[in-house]
Amino acid sequence: MPLLIDRQIVSDDSWQLVEEADALPQSGDLLLPLALYLEQGATLGERRVAVKVNGDDDLAPVLDALDRFPMIAIEFPIFRDGRGFSLARKLRRAGYQGELRAVGNPARDQLGYMERCGFNAFQFADEAFSEEFLNAFGEISVRYQGSSDDPRPVYLQN
Amino acid sequence: MYIYNEVDQKIVDERVAQFRDQTRRFLAGELSDDEFLALRLMNGLYIQRHAPMLRVAIPYGLISSVQLRKLAHIARTYDKGYGHFTTRTNIQFNWPKLEQVPDILAELAQVQMHAIQTSGNCIRNTTTDPFAGVTPDELEDPRPWCEIIRQWSTLHPEFAYLPRKFKIAVTGSPRDRAASQVHDIGLHLVQNDAGEVGFEVLVGGGLGRTPVIGKQIRPFLAKQDLLSYLEAILRVYNLKGRRDNKYKARIKILVEAMGIDAFRDEVDAEWEQIRSSELTLTDAEIARVKGFFQPFEYDASAAADTSLQQKLANDEAFRVWYERNTHEHKVVGYRSVVVSLKPQLEPAGDITDLQLEVVADLAEQYSFGEARSTHEQNLVLADVKNADLYAVWQQLAEHNMARPNIGTLTDMIVCPGFDFCALANAKTLNIAEQINRTFDDLDYLYDLGEIRLNMSGCINACGHHHIGNIGILGVDKKGEDWYQITIGGSDREDASLGKVLGKSVAADNVADTLKKILETYVEQRTDEESFLDCVRRVGVDPFKEKVYAAAH
Repeated sequence: MPLLIDRQIVSDDSWQLVEEADALPQSGDLLLPLALYLEQGATLGERRVAVKVNGDDDLAPVLDALDRFPMIAIEFPIFRDGRGFSLARKLRRAGYQGELRAVGNPARDQLGYMERCGFNAFQFADEAFSEEFLNAFGEISVRYQGSSDDPRPVYLQN
Repeated sequence: MYIYNEVDQKIVDERVAQFRDQTRRFLAGELSDDEFLALRLMNGLYIQRHAPMLRVAIPYGLISSVQLRKLAHIARTYDKGYGHFTTRTNIQFNWPKLEQVPDILAELAQVQMHAIQTSGNCIRNTTTDPFAGVTPDELEDPRPWCEIIRQWSTLHPEFAYLPRKFKIAVTGSPRDRAASQVHDIGLHLVQNDAGEVGFEVLVGGGLGRTPVIGKQIRPFLAKQDLLSYLEAILRVYNLKGRRDNKYKARIKILVEAMGIDAFRDEVDAEWEQIRSSELTLTDAEIARVKGFFQPFEYDASAAADTSLQQKLANDEAFRVWYERNTHEHKVVGYRSVVVSLKPQLEPAGDITDLQLEVVADLAEQYSFGEARSTHEQNLVLADVKNADLYAVWQQLAEHNMARPNIGTLTDMIVCPGFDFCALANAKTLNIAEQINRTFDDLDYLYDLGEIRLNMSGCINACGHHHIGNIGILGVDKKGEDWYQITIGGSDREDASLGKVLGKSVAADNVADTLKKILETYVEQRTDEESFLDCVRRVGVDPFKEKVYAAAH
C-alpha cells in the first residue's frame, strides 16, 4: 500500500497490521488495533508495537503510554469522518513525537489539513494514490490559526 | 471595515487556485462525486434543482461599495442578473456554470471576497447585529470579535469535517438582532460585576428538524479566552457529536443527550489543556482588529440639520418610510436606513445587478462606502445624515427598495423553496406573493405593528419558521403543497419556538388563514400589546378556534 512519510514516498513498511490475537506472527513489528493491544500488550515484552485508533476509541490508555509506540495509526473510515483530526491534535499536544499515520481512507484533498494537525505519514489503498498527491501539501501556504505544526496564530508568526 | 493584508489576500488567492484544480480534477473524472461534494460545499457550491448555486460569504454582513459592484458584475456576467440574500447574511447566485465557478471566485478575490465555508460541515459565516457599532443600545461593537472568529475559523485544519455545520452569532447589545439563541454558539458581550466586558456563551441552539434554544454554558468568559474556549467546544463536538444520522448530528443533539452540565464539564476539561496557550488573544491583537472598526469621522454639523423635519412634515410617503425603515443612530444627526428587499412582487431577499449598484452608489455617497446585510434578508446603510435621508429615500424608491414595511408582516423571511432548492418539499415564493397581495394595505399592517413572519419550504428551516412570530412551513402531502402554521416564536432576546396552530392548510388558504389569525389578534389584544405578547398571554387556543371553526 502506498505510503508517504514526511512528504516522501516510502516503499518499505515494517508494520504488519494484525487484527486477530491468534494471527500474531512470531517476529516483526506489529500494528494492533487498540482493543487488541489492550488485550495482548502485556504478552509482547520488548517487541516493537504500534496501535491503530479510531474515533470510537477512548484515547486515554494511548495517552498514558505514548513512549511505548514508535508509530500510532489513526483511522479515517470515510471521507467525512473528521474525528481523526482532533485525535491527532490531542496526541501531539500530549507530547507524542513518533510517527503519526493516517490510514483507512485519507484523501488527497485532506492531506494539508492532516499535516497541520500533526500527521506526518499517510497510507493509501493501492488504487487511491497518485504521485501527484505530493502537490497537495503546498496549496495553502499561509494560515490564520495555530495548530499542531505551528502553535502560533498569524499575528505571532513573524 | 477589515481590510485584507498580504496574508489575507494570499489565502483567498491560493484557495481559488486550489478550487480551480479540484474542479478540473472532478471534470476530468479524477475526483469522486462524494469527495468533490464535500470540497465544493466548503466553497459554497451546491448543485440545485436547475443549476449549481454559489453562496458567497459576506463576513458578519459587512460589505463595501466596491464589493457590491463586484457582486453586480457577477450577477450580470455569470448569472441571470440577480442574487439572493440569505439568513446567514450571505448572497447566493442561482445560475452559475460549474466550470465558471473558479473564475467567479477569482473575481471575488480581487475585492477581498470569497465563498469559503459558506456551506459544508464546517464553521460557517459568523453573523451579528446589522446595527453593530452604530446602535445606541450597544455595550460594545461585536464586529472586531466576529473578525477575530472569522480568521480563527477560516481554513481551520481540524474543524473542516465536523459532524454537521456550525454557526456562531455575536451580539453587543441587550437587544438581540442576530437570532443568537438559535445558533450552535451564541456569544453575548456582557459586563460582569467587576465592570469588565466579556462574553456570555450559549451553546446548542439551532433550528432544522429539532429546534432548540441555546443553553448558557458560561455566564462570563474573559475576552482573551474567546478562541481557546471556542476551540474547546469545537473539539469536544468534533469527537463526540453523532455521525450516524445527519439529522442528529448538530451540537444541539449532543448537548441535549449529555445534558448541559456534563457537556460543560467536558468542555472545561479540554479548555484547561489549552487555555494558557497561543490561543490566548493578546491585547495587541485585539487592539489591532478593533482599529479596523473605529467610528467614522461623523460630521459635527449633522445634528443642526432642520431640513429633515421639514421634509417629514411635507411629504407623507417619506414620513411613513422614515418611521418604518430607519433606525436610531448613536450619533445625533444620523440614522441607519434599512433597504427593503421585500417589494411586493419579487422574492424576499432578491436583488438585481442594477439594485446592487444603486446601493453601492448610495453607500459611497451617503454612508462611508459601506452597507450591511441582515439576517432578515434586507440591507442597511448604517450611517446616513438626517439631511441626506430624503435623497436616499428617493433613490431607493425609484429602484423599488423603499417599501415601508420593515418589521411588519410583509417583511417576511422566505427561503427560495421548491422553485430553486433541491431540498425543498413545497413552494414558498407563490405563498409569499399570495400574502403580499392580500396584505397590501399599509395602514392595516401598521395597525398590526411588529410581526415577524418566517417561511421555510422544508423542515431544514432555512427560513427560520420556528422563530417567526408567525411561522409557515411547507410540507408535501401526496404530491401537494400544504402549509403548517406556528405562532408565538421569537428570534430576539426573548427567543421562543412557535407552537403549531393545528393541521396544515392548503396552498390557496394560507393568506386567509393569516387573516383569521390577525383578526383574532385584533380582537384579543390589549392597548399597545404586540402580536407576540398577545399570543403569549392568551395562548394558541383562541387563534385555533377562529381558524378551524369555519371548517366544522
